[in-house]
Amino acid sequence: MSIQEQYRSRAKELLGEGSVKMVIGYGVGTTATRRRPIFITSPDETDRLVLDASCRTNLAGYLLREGLLADQKSIAVFLLPDGVRALNILAAESQLATAQIVVLGFEIKGEEVKPLEGTAAGDFSAIIAERKEQRKAQPSHEMAVKLEEMTPAERFAFWEKEFSRCIKCYACRAACPMCWCRRCVVDNNQPQWVNTSSHTLGNLEWNLVRAFHLAGRCVECGNCSEACPVNIPLHLLNGRMTDEVLTAFDHYPGADEQQEPVLASFRKDDPETFIL
Amino acid sequence: MTKILYSDDLTTCFSTWRKEGIMTFGPVQEAGNSGFREVQDEKELDMNLILTSRTLKELFFPRTEPMLSYSIGKQQIETSEFLPSEKPCIIFGARPCDAAGMAMDDELFNWDYRDEYWFRRRSRSVIMTIACSTSDDFCMCTSLGLGPDSAKGSDVLLRPLASGKGWLVEELTEKGDKALQSIASLLKEGTEEAAPTAEVPVLFDLEACTTWLADPENFESHFWKEISERCIGCGTCTYLCPTCHCFDIQDEGDTYEGIRRKNWDSCSFQLFTMHTSGHNPRNTQSARWRQRIMHKFNYFSLKFSVNSCTGCGRCTRECPVDMGVRETLQAISTLQK
Ligand code: SF4
Ligand code: SF4
Ligand code: SF4
Ligand code: SF4
Repeated sequence: MSIQEQYRSRAKELLGEGSVKMVIGYGVGTTATRRRPIFITSPDETDRLVLDASCRTNLAGYLLREGLLADQKSIAVFLLPDGVRALNILAAESQLATAQIVVLGFEIKGEEVKPLEGTAAGDFSAIIAERKEQRKAQPSHEMAVKLEEMTPAERFAFWEKEFSRCIKCYACRAACPMCWCRRCVVDNNQPQWVNTSSHTLGNLEWNLVRAFHLAGRCVECGNCSEACPVNIPLHLLNGRMTDEVLTAFDHYPGADEQQEPVLASFRKDDPETFIL
Repeated sequence: MTKILYSDDLTTCFSTWRKEGIMTFGPVQEAGNSGFREVQDEKELDMNLILTSRTLKELFFPRTEPMLSYSIGKQQIETSEFLPSEKPCIIFGARPCDAAGMAMDDELFNWDYRDEYWFRRRSRSVIMTIACSTSDDFCMCTSLGLGPDSAKGSDVLLRPLASGKGWLVEELTEKGDKALQSIASLLKEGTEEAAPTAEVPVLFDLEACTTWLADPENFESHFWKEISERCIGCGTCTYLCPTCHCFDIQDEGDTYEGIRRKNWDSCSFQLFTMHTSGHNPRNTQSARWRQRIMHKFNYFSLKFSVNSCTGCGRCTRECPVDMGVRETLQAISTLQK
């Protein structure tokens, strides 16, 4: 049985026995290589599910749709390991209870899709631990290395140029499973803390505010860079924050749901190297 | 006999215009993203792009622009307006679907109020459009009653030669004619054939769709929720649409001194219709998606007798969750049958 068939029948079973009310997965898209999120509620429709190497969007964010989990019923969702990490963070931040989520885990290696054992968020700790070691051993991106080698002035110029294209659509925020605030700070208009204009200052403010809010929370799923209509390499910015929390606190975002949020926890023995 | 502009003469063509004090704009590709900006010469242009990812509208309706500055003193209030310059511009290499979008928005910006910011830029600009000889999987101009060589909104239409060495030149407006006069010596008489235009399949029955949309019975249909369930409200479809024109007005500064700006806005955003009371008349994403479709294919056409969509396909091409006008209208046309 192909992995797609295997997951379709698992979804059918879950819906059929009534253990979940919905399966969030991927379906065929406009072109042969495009996939789109789909929401299946009947066991007769599980044939619409697709699972292949084009299924890369992190679907965890859909779980926070208003009222979706309010009835205490369970939902199954297709997740890559980074998606499971997102789930852990959402649970740690009290946005959902993992007990309500059935994970249909999979991983993509090259062009090959592999099933992952487990159904509860906690079942995936081994693969997450493995990814942590990989992440520590090598930077996520070639360009990240180049950025490190730049002088601060060069780096600033790089980001200024990239951000100059930002059109302030906030698609990065909409696509990010970690951007769950019901009212984002930039949408607060009494007072308007952050300029809504997409001029240099406004763009810098927005992108920096967002990067800070994701420090230690970004799971590097790539949804934001993928969604950004002007191709700003946002993963480099958020990845840099991950480097920071990994080295300073050995914190790999979303390792498990007990993990304390880096920016919202305090320890007496914190080295506080940045305080002069 | 028709007039031909050869690609080899493009350098002279651009320098002639620039010597006359005309700003030259065209499609460029930078950091994996493409759009229109001012270019010094034709070498900066990317002539292989079918369609830029960002649209022509940015040149007339920038994503943010200052409208006026104000300062309130003890005795008096001073304001000064920032109106766009009237320096002439030539936009070389627009595509028919983008050019048509500008003509559609002329209606809107000259309806109950004449938007000087838009019209100053419109009247100073000459749009030289290149007909498409290739299209991609998302192009749908023909479904919207336009096509890969439609002239709507253009001042000059250039048809690529079959040899690939230049374009057949057709002036469409007085402005276009004037822009061509300054390069008259570069336009050669010839009998070369134009390349065939792109074959863009018709994807839906537009009339059936607009009829369905005009029926008030369908406003509350389940269809809306089903078709837009995956929409994340990111606004990409709006910001990359050549005809979407909504904006917000913001004062930056404080009570006494500041700048009033006009910034893009989108009906996909929850905040777009949020009242100060906290009540939101469009409180679900499906209501917002319905608005986008209704505005384009029902309200706009009722008012201006034209749909506010040119079929450029960007709303599908660039949507992070693979939605778009295309899927919705295709689905509505099948509902009909
Ligand atoms: S910031 Fe980007 S990469 Fe990180 S979790 Fe959010 S969408 Fe994913
Ligand atoms: S998605 Fe890109 S263009 Fe849109 S707000 Fe984010 S960084 Fe800016
Ligand atoms: S339809 Fe797509 S591009 Fe438009 S707001 Fe929804 S998710 Fe974004
Ligand atoms: S609605 Fe979509 S297809 Fe129509 S003009 Fe706008 S972006 Fe292009």
